[in-house]
Amino acid sequence: MSTVLPSRLAALTRLRCAIFQTSYNPTGIRTGAKYLRKRLRGPSMVQYYPQQLNLAKIARQYPELELVNEVEEQRLQDIEDRKKRGKGAPKKAKNENESRRMGKRR
Amino acid sequence: MPNIRVLRDIKARNGVRANEIARRAYLYVARNQTLPAPVRFQAQLQLNTFTRYTRPTTVKNRCHETGRGRGIMSEFALCRFQFRLKALRGELNGVHKASW
Repeated sequence: MSTVLPSRLAALTRLRCAIFQTSYNPTGIRTGAKYLRKRLRGPSMVQYYPQQLNLAKIARQYPELELVNEVEEQRLQDIEDRKKRGKGAPKKAKNENESRRMGKRR
Repeated sequence: MPNIRVLRDIKARNGVRANEIARRAYLYVARNQTLPAPVRFQAQLQLNTFTRYTRPTTVKNRCHETGRGRGIMSEFALCRFQFRLKALRGELNGVHKASW
């Protein structure tokens, strides 16, 4: 039984790489090529959720239509009602002394 | 109106698409053992500067109807309960309740 020299085998691999246009990498060193070879996933990711109608955007774009966003109107009404009962959000602090966080600091 | 988790996921998806090519380029440099170590290190530092909403692993497939993140049937993009409701209403083509 005849044995093939390793150098001959390496030459064969190199020739095969040249013919089939693959890169000759006998030591299996990492070239990072797989990050360039992979398909881009972003375009299909963006299409996952179905397009939603944004009423607020349309109302802002076409003010002449006079659309009413009922959910938003209800929200503002609820805030008004809460303010009347004295349950509204506190006023924004103008300086550090007004800030409620000051008292809590140790 | 989708809930905040869905909005955040949409933000992540848009971020992934906007930054994908730059991230791939840095990944190529950082993982390439034929390049000098300082160059690879700098590329890795650049990779670390990207925000969390640019990484593909941040993206999660959520339910189209309710935004639930677990128990999603990926073929229909619905969570298991919404899948059941829609299937019983006959809104999913080719799906009907098993009986034997």
